[in-house]
Amino acid sequence: MSMGINFIYGIMKVINWSMGEFFMIGAFVQYILLTSFLGATYWYVGVVISALIVFFLGALVQRLLIKPMFVGIIEAKMEYATIVTIAMAIFLRNLAVLIGGPYIYTPPDYAGPTQILTLPISGNRLVALIGALFLLALFYYFIKKSWTGKAFQGVAQNRSGVQTAGVNVLKYDMLAFGIGTALAGAGGALLAPIFLVHPMCGLVPTVRGFEIIVIAGLGSIPGILVAGLTLGIAESLGSAFINPSFVDIYGFILLVIILSIKPYGLFGKAEREV
Amino acid sequence: MDDQGNQLLEVKNVVKMFGGLRANDNVSIQIEKGEIRGLIGPNGSGKTTLINLITGIYDVTEGSIYYYGKRIDGVKANVIASMGIMRTFQVARVFRDMTVLENMLIPAFTQGQSGSEAKTRAEELLDFALLTRLKDKQAKSLSGGQNMLLQIVRGFMHKDLKLYVMDEPFAGVHQSIKGIIIESIKMMNQEKGVTFLVVSHEMSTVRTLCNKITVLCKGERIAEGTMEEVANVPEVIDAYLGG
Repeated sequence: MSMGINFIYGIMKVINWSMGEFFMIGAFVQYILLTSFLGATYWYVGVVISALIVFFLGALVQRLLIKPMFVGIIEAKMEYATIVTIAMAIFLRNLAVLIGGPYIYTPPDYAGPTQILTLPISGNRLVALIGALFLLALFYYFIKKSWTGKAFQGVAQNRSGVQTAGVNVLKYDMLAFGIGTALAGAGGALLAPIFLVHPMCGLVPTVRGFEIIVIAGLGSIPGILVAGLTLGIAESLGSAFINPSFVDIYGFILLVIILSIKPYGLFGKAEREV
Repeated sequence: MDDQGNQLLEVKNVVKMFGGLRANDNVSIQIEKGEIRGLIGPNGSGKTTLINLITGIYDVTEGSIYYYGKRIDGVKANVIASMGIMRTFQVARVFRDMTVLENMLIPAFTQGQSGSEAKTRAEELLDFALLTRLKDKQAKSLSGGQNMLLQIVRGFMHKDLKLYVMDEPFAGVHQSIKGIIIESIKMMNQEKGVTFLVVSHEMSTVRTLCNKITVLCKGERIAEGTMEEVANVPEVIDAYLGG
C-alpha cells in the first residue's frame, strides 16, 4: 500500500486517496475468485489476477478522470487530481455497499497456523509477509534494473527533461497509476483473510500506508521497509506495556516524534525542483 | 519525412500570449539544414518562449511551425523529440539521482536502441566530453557546468538527431567546459550534419560559432543576418544600448 502511494506520488505528484478502495476491490476480487472459481489452494493465482484487474481499473480511472488535467497548462492540476481521487474513494466505497451490501465476507485461509522456531504465527500473516516482501523486491528490481524503470525514475526526477528526451510522460502517468493501484489490489488480496472483505476494509491499511510513508519520507523504498517495521514494533510495545486498546495511537505518537526530529521523514530529502 | 529542399524548420507568424502578455509577436524564422543559427536578444525578448514553442513545451496561440514541411505546432514534446529535435534548458535538466551513464541512456531507451549499442555510444560521447571518470557518479554530485555538458551530450544520444535547440548553453560554465561545448557543436555539425539553434548572450561565442543570427526584441524579430549585418541595424543597437 505504502509503495503504491509512494510510486504514484513520485511520478505524478498526486496523492491518491482512493488507494484503500483499490485495496478493497483487490480483496473483493480475490474473495470471488477463491469462493467461486479457484478454491483456496490457488490463492496465489487469485492474488495475481486481482492485481491485474485492479491494474487495468486504475489505469482506466487515470485515463478518464486524471489525465485530462495533465494535458496542457493547467494550474494546480495536482490539487484537482487529488480531489478527484477523494471523490473516487467515496464513489467506490458506496458502490461496494450497493453491490455487496454492508456485510463482512470471510475468504478461506491461505495457510494454517504455523511456527517459526518457538514462535507460533498465523499462516495467513506469514503468507502476507512473504508476499509483501516478494512484491517489494520485484518492484525494486523493476525500477532499478529495467529500461522502463529507468524511464520511471526519469519522470519522477525531471518531468520536462525526460519529456524532451522523448519519453511520453502521460503514458508513464497511466502506467504508474495502474502499477500503484495494482500494488494496493495485491495487498488487498494478500490480506483478505486477515482484514476480511467489506466496503471499509481498505481504510485501516490506507491510514497505515500514509503513516509509513510519512515516517519513511516520500520516495524511499528501503525507507518503507524500515518505517513499516518501526511502526509495527511501536504498536506492539505500546500494546504490551501500556494498553492494547489504544494501539492506533502509538503509531501517531511515533510519527509526531519522528517528524519533530526529522521533518522529511527518516529517509526523505528536501525536494528541489528546477 | 518529406524533403522540402534545404529548409529544415520554418516558424511562420507565430504569436504566443500569456494572458495579456505577448511573449512572441508574429515571429517568422527559416532555418536551413546544416546551419548553426544564433538567437539573441535582450532579457525578456521571447527567445526561450520561441524555443519552447518549437520543442512542444508550449502551444502556439497563432501561427504555425513546420519541420521538414510537416506542421509540428501542437505536437507533444516527446513526439517532437522522437522526430529528431532535441533541446537543452538554461538550467540543466538532468536526472539528479541517476548516474551520468544512466542519464545518457534515457534518450536511447525511447528509441528502442539496444542496451549494448546505446552504452557504447554513451561511453564514446562521455569520453569526448571528458566525463568518463564521472560516469558512475550521480548527476547531483556534478558541478553546474558539468551538468550542462552532460545535458548537451545526452542530446547527442539521439540516433537520428537533426536539429539541436540549445538554450544558453554557455551561461555560467567554466571556460574549459565552454570549449568542449563549442567543439561538440562543431563536430556534430560538420561530421553528422546536425543543425543547431543556439540561444546565447555571449556575443563573442555567437560570432565565431553561428553562420547567421536572428535578433528578437520585445517578442518581435527585429533583425536577421550575419553578426556584422545585424550589428549595424539601428533597432538592434537601440535594443542593446537603449534609445
